[in-house]
Amino acid sequence: MLQPEAVELVILAAAALAFAVAFSPPAASRRELLGKGGVGVVGAAAIAAVPTFEGTLLALLALGVLHSIIGGKRPLAVRLRGPVVAVTLLGLGAFFARVQGPEVMERFAAVGLVAGLAAGVGVLPYLHPIDPDEPLVSSPVVWLAFAGPVLAAVIVQRAQSLLPVDAAGAFGAMLIGLGLINVVWGGAAAWLTESEAVAWRYSFVADWGLVLCGLGLIVADGQRAAIVMLFSIVLGRLPLYLVALHAPHEKVVTGRPVNLVVAAALAGSAPFAGFAARLLLLRAATQLFWPLAIVLAAGMLLWLPGSLRLGRSLGLPKGRQAVGVALVLAVNVAAGLYPLPILLAAHL
Amino acid sequence: MVDAVAAFVAWLGASVVVLADGRRGLALGAAISVAGMAVVALDAAGPEAAASVALGGVVAAAGRLRSGRGGWHIMPAGSTPRLVLCIAAALLALWIAAALTTGPAAPLRFTAMVVIGLSGARVLGADEPPILFTAIGLLALAIALAAGIGQIAPTPWPFLAAAVIAGLAGWISPRTVAAA
Repeated sequence: MLQPEAVELVILAAAALAFAVAFSPPAASRRELLGKGGVGVVGAAAIAAVPTFEGTLLALLALGVLHSIIGGKRPLAVRLRGPVVAVTLLGLGAFFARVQGPEVMERFAAVGLVAGLAAGVGVLPYLHPIDPDEPLVSSPVVWLAFAGPVLAAVIVQRAQSLLPVDAAGAFGAMLIGLGLINVVWGGAAAWLTESEAVAWRYSFVADWGLVLCGLGLIVADGQRAAIVMLFSIVLGRLPLYLVALHAPHEKVVTGRPVNLVVAAALAGSAPFAGFAARLLLLRAATQLFWPLAIVLAAGMLLWLPGSLRLGRSLGLPKGRQAVGVALVLAVNVAAGLYPLPILLAAHL
Repeated sequence: MVDAVAAFVAWLGASVVVLADGRRGLALGAAISVAGMAVVALDAAGPEAAASVALGGVVAAAGRLRSGRGGWHIMPAGSTPRLVLCIAAALLALWIAAALTTGPAAPLRFTAMVVIGLSGARVLGADEPPILFTAIGLLALAIALAAGIGQIAPTPWPFLAAAVIAGLAGWISPRTVAAA
């Protein structure tokens, strides 16, 4: 049976593709975006649609190979490494979950599944190497927001059904631990790194940290936080990243009101979708283990300096791009003020 | 007994893929490994699964003969670490499949684990497209094989999907990659 969260995330990915096609600058090839992006949406849908865990791995492998051979600046071996390592680790994780043996096998299974998920999405400790000049369709940054959300939703749900109760608890705890590492590392690196392209990538990684924490918290609010956060990645950060990619470079970087508003959206401040996700996450953490909420709240402060910098990287959007930015901000405000439709669609 | 021999053959083939750099060596390794995996799949998931594995593997091996570095290039200079990897992976997988885990189908467990591990490691250590895609084909087939663990009557669909992926990956040439 199709998983509602995964179906919703496939639809969101299709919406992000539509945004990229509609609001891409005239220099970009819309036909290429539509063709290769459409294959990506179909691949993500295949990951969600196949009924077995191994089927998901094979769909991921096929999508990873397709994503690698469509070209790009990085060597093929580097492009293939992420999905292949993910499939290998997830395959070994599923192997250990299925065999009968000592209890330690279940722990190995949980480790394999968490590590494979991190490698598949491309977050720490398996960051996919990036090239600032990489074309959009083969970029690992776009993979983080396009295929990653569906993959994470499907893997986490199926992994929890594969693992016994004790190991599922360990799986959740490892997701939270990995999430915190990504929050701290991604937030600090987005602020301190020199390259703008790298800063954008780390901002995605930091957002993914919150998603992993939400997925690891077994209470309902944690799952709700994860889906709203994924919404804000796919229909917030990704479209703004696409606009920033094609923004003209200014000699003197100045902060205009629009840059401040974009920075607020990227930082997850009220009334944007990221704020609702953060509130839900803090509530979930408080329900489960309140010191975790304090750690998360402290980590969330790391978004501020990095977001101000990324907000400025958009420059002053004009024409079609300005309409796109306004649309993204409006959608994120709507989702932040009233996230119920997103949660209902995911049956949460 | 037949399954145990088949598992050994699957490991041997995967090891040849790890140790070879030439197109003939890669094709031979893929063919040997697939022969072993097909026999293991026959016992674990039935004739449809075995036929899928065999067909996918043969197509992949045939495709591999078309492109890549000419000749065999099995165990070229500097391949000692790869040889150690193959032996260590076999010993570790044997210990886990036969001693640490329990239940029937130890050859299936050994084959799935060792082929997944070796093909994943091969992708990490190589940078030539023919080597990468040969290893990916084996990885796909081994993932399908792992689906049979702990199931009474596994469906042949994962094997069919894996065979399609392995077959197509075998025919991806450096020219295809460059043209894309």
